[in-house]
Amino acid sequence: MKPSDRGIRRVVTAGLLLAITLLLTFTNVAFIPVPTPAGSATIGHIPAIIGGILEGPLVGLIVGLGFGFGCFMNPLVTAVTNDPLVIWLPRLFIGVAAGLVFMLLRRANKRVLAVMLVLLALLVLYYSYQVGGKILWLGLLIAFLTGIGALALYNWARGEEAIIISLAIAGVVGSLTNTVLVLSAAVWRKVPGIGPEVALGVGLTQGIPEAILSAIVVVAVVSALRQIGKRRRGSRL
Amino acid sequence: MANYEALRHLTIGQYIPTGSLIHRLDPRAKLVALGCFIVASVLAGKYANALLLLLLTVALVKLSRLHLRSMLATLTPVIPILLVMALLQLIFYGGASRSGGLNRLLVDWGPLHISGESVRVIVVTWARFATLFLLVTLLTSTTTASALTRGLEGVLRPLTRLRLPGHEIAMVGTIALRFLPILGEQLEAILQAQASRGVSETSSRWRFLDNARRMARMVVPLFVDAYHRAEELILAMQARCYHGGKGRTYLVSFTYRFSDYLAVALGALLVILVGVLQYSALP
Repeated sequence: MKPSDRGIRRVVTAGLLLAITLLLTFTNVAFIPVPTPAGSATIGHIPAIIGGILEGPLVGLIVGLGFGFGCFMNPLVTAVTNDPLVIWLPRLFIGVAAGLVFMLLRRANKRVLAVMLVLLALLVLYYSYQVGGKILWLGLLIAFLTGIGALALYNWARGEEAIIISLAIAGVVGSLTNTVLVLSAAVWRKVPGIGPEVALGVGLTQGIPEAILSAIVVVAVVSALRQIGKRRRGSRL
Repeated sequence: MANYEALRHLTIGQYIPTGSLIHRLDPRAKLVALGCFIVASVLAGKYANALLLLLLTVALVKLSRLHLRSMLATLTPVIPILLVMALLQLIFYGGASRSGGLNRLLVDWGPLHISGESVRVIVVTWARFATLFLLVTLLTSTTTASALTRGLEGVLRPLTRLRLPGHEIAMVGTIALRFLPILGEQLEAILQAQASRGVSETSSRWRFLDNARRMARMVVPLFVDAYHRAEELILAMQARCYHGGKGRTYLVSFTYRFSDYLAVALGALLVILVGVLQYSALP
C-alpha cells in the first residue's frame, strides 16, 4: 500500500466514523437502559474507540473531537454543565487511549494477557486489603467480587482468540478513559452537584456497565469488519 | 416505531438553496461568525443574553428564507426527554437557597423547593440548545459541502504552518457531513427491518447483557455498511489521484467582500455584547 493510499484510508475512515458518532449522539438511539441512577449507558464514544483501533490514535483523536461536539450539542449533557473543558477536552483522549492500548496488545499472546489479568487481580486484592483494614465487610466483599470477576474473565478468555481479548481490553480502556476523565474534569471545574463522592459513585455505577457494553460492541464491530473470529462456533454475539 | 422515522428528518447536513444573503456569504466568514456565536452562547448564562442570542438566530433563519418549522421538526422526538430532564432539574437543582433576589424560593412546599435560580438554569439551557442547534443546521443548510470544506480549510490554514494537516481535517468533516443523512436512513432501515422481524424495542433495564447484545445487533450492520461505503469512496478517490492538500489548486477562489467582513465584525461584537450583559445588572 502506497503512503498516499494509507492517507486516503485514514481520512475516509475518520469521516465515516465521525458521521456515525454524530448520528448516535444527535438521535437517542445510542442510549440503552441500565439499572443505575443515571438510567442509561451511552455508546456514542464507541466510534472513537473503533477509530483508534482500526486506524491509530490520530483518527481516534479526530472522532473523539466529533463526539465532544456531539455531546456539546446534546441537551441532556449541557443541562448539567456547559463548560467545554468538562464536555469537550476529556473526549479527545478516548480514541487515543484505546488506539495506544491496542497497538501495544496487538502482538500479545495469551500468556502475556493471563499475566496481566493476574497482576490486575492482585492490584484489586491489595486495594481490598487496604479497605478491609478500615471496613472489614467491604474489603471482604471487594475481594470476593474480584475473585469471581477474575475467574469469570479467565473462563471467558480461555475460549477466545488473543486478538479478541485485546480488542475487549482496548474497548474497556477507551470507555474508562471517558468516564474517569470526564468525572475528574467535572470535579476539578467544580460542576454544581458533582463532588468527589458523587463522582466516585457515578463512576462505579455508570462507568462499569458502559465499559462492559463498550467491550461487547467493540469486539462485535471490529471482528465483523476484519472478518476475524469467523471460525469459532457458538459465538455469543 | 415513531422515533425511527425521525432519523429521516435529520436536517443537519442537507443543503437547501434559496439564494439569500446568508447563502452568498463567504464560507470562511460564516465559519468564523458561527465560532463567535458558539463562544457567545457558552458565555451566556442570563435571561437577557441567552434570549438575545436565540432571537438573533431566529432572525438569521428568517433572513436565510429557510423554514423554521422544518428545522425544528428534527427535535420533536427529543422533547419528552427534555421535559422530564427539565422537571427533574426544577425539583432537584441544588442552587436553591432561602436568600432574596433571583435565588429566592418560588415554591416551598414540603420536600419541593423551586427557586428562581433553577427556573433560570432551565430556560437558559433550553435557549442555548435551540440556538446551537439552529446555528449548526443553518450553516449546513446554507453552505454546500464543497464550500464548507474550502471554508474550513481556509480557517485551518494557520495550522498548516504548525505541520497539522488542515486540508485533511477539513476533508474528514466534509465526508462526515455528507454521510450523516445517508447513515441516518441506513440506521432507520436497520431498525425497521429488525422491528418487522419481531425484535422488541426495549426490554427491562435489569437485563443488561441482553440490551447490550441487542445494541450490538443494531450497531454492527451500521458499521459494516459504513465500512463498505468507505471502501467504495477510497477506490473512487484513488482513481481520481487524490493525494491530500499538498500542492492542490482550486477552480474557484474565494475573495472577501464587504458583507463578509461585516459578518465577522458582527460576530465579534456579539461575543463582547454577551460578555458585557453577563456581568451587567440585568436578570
